[in-house]
Amino acid sequence: MKKNIYIGEILKNEEIQNDYFLMKVALNNSFAEPQPGQFVMIRIAGLSEPFLGRPISVYSFSRGKSFCTMELLYRVVGRGTKIMAGLIKNSQVEIHGPLGTPFAIFPAKEKIVFIAGGIGVAPLSLLAHHLCKNVCYDKSQMTFYLGAQTAEAIIGLDRLKKLCYDIHIYTDDGTLGGKSLVTQAFQKDIKKYQPENTVIYACGPNGMLSVLAKMLKSKKYNCQVSLEERMACGTGACMGCAVAIRDNNGALAYKRVCSDGPVFNLQEVIWE
Amino acid sequence: MKANEFPQMAVQLGKLKLKNPVMTASGTFGYGEEYAEYVDLNRLGAIVVKGLSLKPRLGNPPPRIMETASGMLNAVGLQNIGVDAFIAEKLPYLRKYDVAVIANIYGETYAEYQKVARKLNSAKGVHALEVNVSCPNVKKGGLSFGSDPKIAAEVTRKVKEETDLPVIVKLTPNVTDIALIAAAVEKAGADAISLINTLTGMSVDIKKRAPHLKNITGGLSGPAIKPIALRMVWQVVKRVSIPVIGIGGIMNAEDALEFLILGAKAVQIGTANFINPHATLDVIDGIKNYLFDNQIKDINEIICTFKS
Ligand SMILES: Cc1cc2nc3c(=O)[nH]c(=O)nc-3n(C[C@H](O)[C@H](O)[C@H](O)COP(=O)(O)OP(=O)(O)OC[C@H]3O[C@@H](n4cnc5c(N)ncnc54)[C@H](O)[C@@H]3O)c2cc1C
Ligand SMILES: Cc1cc2nc3c(=O)[nH]c(=O)nc-3n(C[C@H](O)[C@H](O)[C@H](O)COP(=O)(O)O)c2cc1C
Ligand code: FES
Repeated sequence: MKKNIYIGEILKNEEIQNDYFLMKVALNNSFAEPQPGQFVMIRIAGLSEPFLGRPISVYSFSRGKSFCTMELLYRVVGRGTKIMAGLIKNSQVEIHGPLGTPFAIFPAKEKIVFIAGGIGVAPLSLLAHHLCKNVCYDKSQMTFYLGAQTAEAIIGLDRLKKLCYDIHIYTDDGTLGGKSLVTQAFQKDIKKYQPENTVIYACGPNGMLSVLAKMLKSKKYNCQVSLEERMACGTGACMGCAVAIRDNNGALAYKRVCSDGPVFNLQEVIWE
Repeated sequence: MKANEFPQMAVQLGKLKLKNPVMTASGTFGYGEEYAEYVDLNRLGAIVVKGLSLKPRLGNPPPRIMETASGMLNAVGLQNIGVDAFIAEKLPYLRKYDVAVIANIYGETYAEYQKVARKLNSAKGVHALEVNVSCPNVKKGGLSFGSDPKIAAEVTRKVKEETDLPVIVKLTPNVTDIALIAAAVEKAGADAISLINTLTGMSVDIKKRAPHLKNITGGLSGPAIKPIALRMVWQVVKRVSIPVIGIGGIMNAEDALEFLILGAKAVQIGTANFINPHATLDVIDGIKNYLFDNQIKDINEIICTFKS
């Protein structure tokens, strides 16, 4: 059978900023190449608790001669991530994945706009890397709006600087970059981007994404967002990770974040 | 026993013959295809598909799941594509495999149960029906069909009228005397009984002082419920003579063997699939190893050997 749960060995698990950790995991080379937007379910190998895997986006991936290396960027928010943060080098984790439907890519579009809130930077960073390396976008075609509540929650900036020229930083309290919500900042610039030749990729808290949805409602942008919901199976079998979507007839339907998503078109999502 | 001689794993549940006693539990294995890339479906004793209703069901608003100590709560609300779409879109796929397919069915009225059963009776590739009686009976003020022996028996009788397929009745544990319900559905003509479904539970978010699940209550599953499931299987096995299928918190072969020893003729694996997509195959292989190590030639020699 093709798919399996892999045992990963932790090469590094460091607190890079207060409550934000970068975990580097070595995996067998038969692990499939993750596409930007895909995620893994991670558990501590051999332990029965925490019971369910935690979904975490793939932040980077590289294939070496004898094994491949995957990076996960995560924020400690509760029990599971707290336990993850305590794992030391050489600990083993169960990695289920790569899972989910990746971001769709439109090589004909001239302009790419990324809008990330906090930890939402993780999947977008992999996407920016992919667009540079594999789709041959020039750095000048990509603009990144990165926002967070405060300076301490702006992460992944060093890596982004290598990928994009045009990075705009905002914090709610003004401790780093402009003092603004990232969505407001984008709105001020919106005239720079023509809907016909721009793709917008966004990931962040639901509050941020719902504001973005209102802002773009009557506009014709192609905007893809990566959503979060609690998960059990990660494979589309349990129907646990539902998100409210407007189907083709405009009616409410529940789709699965793990397999129909996590990437959805912004305008099909129903925000409360 | 010679080293190359494999233990005999087939079991017989009334008219239904299974190549081994390990099936998937409804709602935890989708319609089979979700796990086909992980598991050789041909190796399973049976696939029990997600609960089917007459019309497609939207399900409950999220959040629908919450992790608990050694288990989880779910309030999916029986989201499913409906029996017609199942027959048209999912059955043809399942027919490609040499595996017994058991359709789990659900209704809000007797008539709905009957209509779903009738449609499946004429569908090619369904080997048995499993009747979920844990759902609220809308006509009887939302009381679950499965919590009243008379109503549970009536559902069984009504479904039996519509089908020649073996009818398995799946019992809810949210009752005071499960053996009483089991005896009632046996008398009404059930060919087998499966138990348990999930136990109703709750979880509170102390930050928000609100429920973790939008639906407020949900069904508890996973290792946390296994001791209760074992106790109930034991009570039911003593009371009825039709085959019993044990469900609840089975994570590995040892867990499955506990149910078989108590007298369950088969088992279903549910929540375990979520954290180990190979759980079903691991259980099958583990049981084989156990039989082999103990020089038991036939799985049936272990079933109902509990000494109390
Ligand atoms: C597709 C996907 C990709 C993700 N990628 C990343 C990532 O790259 N980095 C990262 O730090 N986090 C990511 N998350 C969120 C991460 O899964 C949760 O933060 C984590 O599961 C919380 O587990 P916990 O045990 O620490 O918290 P819990 O104790 O379970 O919960 C603590 C809090 O977190 C919330 N929460 C729990 N699970 C989730 C969830 N799945 N999504 C959103 N909120 C949740 C709870 O509602 C609660 O308020 C992603 C989620 C999804 C669905
Ligand atoms: C997410 C989820 C969905 C379920 N859906 C159904 C269902 O549609 N019909 C049904 O009869 N049981 C359903 N169940 C109950 C399981 O089939 C099983 O009886 C229960 O989970 C106990 O077994 P376990 O502890 O091995 O999971 C569901 C359980 C879970 C966790
Ligand atoms: S987590 Fe099970 S369907 Fe998405």
